[in-house]
Amino acid sequence: MATVVKKAGYRKVLENIFGTPHFDLFAIVSYIIPLAYIFIFLIVPLAEMLKIAFTYNGSFSLHWFESIFSQEFYVRLKPQGSIYVDTPQYIYIEGLDFGVILNSLIVAVLVTIFSTIIGVVLAYIMYRYTFPGKNIFRVLLIVPLLVTPFVNAYVVKLIFRENGIFNWILHDLIGILPKPIRIDGLVGVIIAQSIAYYPIVYLNAYASFVNIDPSLEEQAENLGSKGFRLFRTITFPLALPGIAAGATLTFIFSLEDLGAPIAFHSSSIAKKLITYQVYDKFLSETGYRSPEIAALAIILLAISLAAFALIRKYVSLRQYAMMSKGGRWYVRTFKPKWWQYVIIYAIVLPLVLFTILPQVGVILLAFSKEWSRTPYPRGFTLEHISQIVLDPDVRGYVINSIIYAFTAIIIIVIISIMASYVSNRFRGILSPIVEALTVFPLAVPGIVIAVGYFYFFASVTPRDSILNPLSVSFNPGPILIIAYSIRRMPFTARSIYAGIQQVHASLEEAAMNLGMPRWKAVMSILVPLISMNVLGGAMLSFVYAMSETSVSITIGSLEMSKAPMTAYMRDLIVSAAGSAHMAAALGFILIVVQISAIILSTIITKQRYAFIGIT
Amino acid sequence: MRVIVLVNVRIEDVVKRFGEVTALRGVSLEIKHGELFTLLGPSGCGKTTLLRIIAGLEYPDEGRIYFDDNDVTDLKTYERGAVLVFQNYALWPHMTVYENIAYGLKIRKVPKDEIKERVKKALELVKLEGYEDRYPTQLSGGQQQRVALARALAVQPKILLLDEPLSNLDAKLRIEMRSEIKRIQRELDITVIYVTHDQEEAMALSDRIAVMNFGVIEQVGTPREIYQRPKTKFVADFMGKNNILPAKIIEIKDGKATLKVLGQVVKGVPVGNIVGDYSEIYFSIRPEKVSLRPFDGAQMLEGRVDLIEYYGFFVEIVIKLHDMFFFVRVPDLKEPIRLGDVIRVYFDPKDVILLQE
Repeated sequence: MATVVKKAGYRKVLENIFGTPHFDLFAIVSYIIPLAYIFIFLIVPLAEMLKIAFTYNGSFSLHWFESIFSQEFYVRLKPQGSIYVDTPQYIYIEGLDFGVILNSLIVAVLVTIFSTIIGVVLAYIMYRYTFPGKNIFRVLLIVPLLVTPFVNAYVVKLIFRENGIFNWILHDLIGILPKPIRIDGLVGVIIAQSIAYYPIVYLNAYASFVNIDPSLEEQAENLGSKGFRLFRTITFPLALPGIAAGATLTFIFSLEDLGAPIAFHSSSIAKKLITYQVYDKFLSETGYRSPEIAALAIILLAISLAAFALIRKYVSLRQYAMMSKGGRWYVRTFKPKWWQYVIIYAIVLPLVLFTILPQVGVILLAFSKEWSRTPYPRGFTLEHISQIVLDPDVRGYVINSIIYAFTAIIIIVIISIMASYVSNRFRGILSPIVEALTVFPLAVPGIVIAVGYFYFFASVTPRDSILNPLSVSFNPGPILIIAYSIRRMPFTARSIYAGIQQVHASLEEAAMNLGMPRWKAVMSILVPLISMNVLGGAMLSFVYAMSETSVSITIGSLEMSKAPMTAYMRDLIVSAAGSAHMAAALGFILIVVQISAIILSTIITKQRYAFIGIT
Repeated sequence: MRVIVLVNVRIEDVVKRFGEVTALRGVSLEIKHGELFTLLGPSGCGKTTLLRIIAGLEYPDEGRIYFDDNDVTDLKTYERGAVLVFQNYALWPHMTVYENIAYGLKIRKVPKDEIKERVKKALELVKLEGYEDRYPTQLSGGQQQRVALARALAVQPKILLLDEPLSNLDAKLRIEMRSEIKRIQRELDITVIYVTHDQEEAMALSDRIAVMNFGVIEQVGTPREIYQRPKTKFVADFMGKNNILPAKIIEIKDGKATLKVLGQVVKGVPVGNIVGDYSEIYFSIRPEKVSLRPFDGAQMLEGRVDLIEYYGFFVEIVIKLHDMFFFVRVPDLKEPIRLGDVIRVYFDPKDVILLQE
């Protein structure tokens, strides 16, 4: 009798934890591996950093945080600098300095606001209206999504020089501006980031609009609502969870971005951002476990996590999209009225064209000899592109990136399938934890991971190991693979999770009921059914792993012979002006990889494009 | 709630195509004010499309819609006042029950105090008092359905349109809501157009029914007319269980026909509406009009017992005539009938209806 009770008790425990009363080896392994991997390579390094930041003279202390918050360098309520400087040749705008921490927050908030406005307006136009040239818009809107670290922000800087294309058109040609305007510093960072990140809001908002049950709008119209009121009271609130998710991602991406501050590094105010400061101190104090860097990184992490936690809470509270109970489903589109045509062609189109300039500029830069004194580049050349193939060093960086990214994707796919499977199919205490952990890396700024890894691997690996960043024989490869696999996991994990949700559990249950063990049922039934999701997610993760910057330019550049291409691109961007062409050529390679991935996934998965979402 | 101005709906020659598919092929109808009128038909017959055209959510390719004598064809849905309750309820999930119901009233610029009053009344009407602050996701399917109904009723519509409002409810709730809707319609005395594919629901609920098939109206009439005097084979088949057998007319005398039904002769059948070509004729009789005992003036058919099913309030005997099944429903089975027995069944030839394709 006693054993029976005990046995039942142990089954209850298993069921509570794993969501299955059986000692199911496959299920339990599928829980343990993702949990362990993310725990060891994300939670432990962050904890290590936390420990260092909160230790002073060997005991727990807020010393480093107090020190940071007491310095005007970090927090300055009375801003330094002026909104613009009127020089004889041009008006110079670079923004005000509120101290590093406030600067980061202000930049991120402004980028979020601009991206959200542009993204939502574009998404609504693309969702609601049919107009000639809509497909051209569709294609143009993919362009800003193409990631070219450092160089796209560098091109923004070129555009807004006193002799850049912006002033050339508005001052020299049209003459609207009485005097050229030169934009640099934090304002330059804001423009570069807004252009780069608004497509994230656009894609999320568009998907949310399309997912609105048309009868919800029809009912409102049927009851007398129309025009802006219909949008304000029905359409917009229903799409808000998706829009908010996109906006939050933009906030986090802006906060953690290192590319734009580095591209604008010649303006000292652009360096006064948290990411740049952590990065700069990391490079200058390599070899020491600086508690101040750790504390600064913790502050960055805290802001990012707070935003992430808020949006997860908000979105989970508002899962409306799928309330519908059948009925007809179609997208309600209309022809614009005359004034809407004016908005589309006279305001929105030029804006979209403006936002693709960085990518266009990167390509021009890659194929030109010189672009320093004129508004447009001069002298066509294939020199930079051919150097990528011919120069063994440059070729090496590209190959390193491909190898690291590819290896990371294999890890990502295995862990994502396991994690998504158990979190979708079982209802134990661990299920939501596994699910949350796979998305959690989105909220951790890259530079925080870089610093955390540096401390973690320096302290847990032997001093002469190739894994120890302090060792002379250090090889950044394995750490970069781990970093990529953690940082880019959410894209694949979300895609696979969504795929598994579409497949009813009864499909595997039927197979198991006929005598297949669980792992075989998953491999032979579920995995083939979600292969498109796996592929789409993996492609997105691969593209973003190739263009990863934060860990690549810190840990990755500790040993340049094993460095990835983004580390080399950073070196080129910060050195003499002429070398930006080479960086752009590498950016062009990234663009080619990304376009191939988009085309491939469009052909194979028949989806228009995979998009980045948080929920 | 105040008495609502009654509106009469006239539909003239409405045609609607969706690409290659023609959903409505020239539909004309007149719905009298204060009537509970049902559009009945199988899925894809065009009934929902017709309802959406009346609501102003679809625009007909041809034909006009009149409310009383006003042509409303070109009016937008928000200018018509024909309020639709959607099949999926279309409750706005980001609004509370109160906000959902108040929405249409706010648009009509009803004063705040009156909105409160009218929302309360609407909730009382659907028996959901006290649910104001709930969100739609916190309600059961039946409750959601009532809120959708309350939202439509709160604006005191000229015409209430219901698109399969009960199809997402379980059987018991469906019957309950059915009488609820009828009670509310009587109480408010409004014109209601109701769409359903459930013939039992249509019969229980409606003043009149239009049976639709493939984009045309096959028959319009009271439930009794439609059930007892179907005009087409489709209507006879669609409305309840029926025996429909191919037959040939041997002769017609004084409006009475002599038929050959699967090789057996039946005499004295009223010719009814049969017109033109006599060759393709169907003999139909309701299973409950057939008896196992002979009576004066009865005609008969003979067949082999294939199945006996006990339903409680009746017993159904399935008889095989040639290769066709013939159903007989009797209140109780007292005769010692066994499977495989050859038996005779009797009916009054006046109950037979002749149909054409």
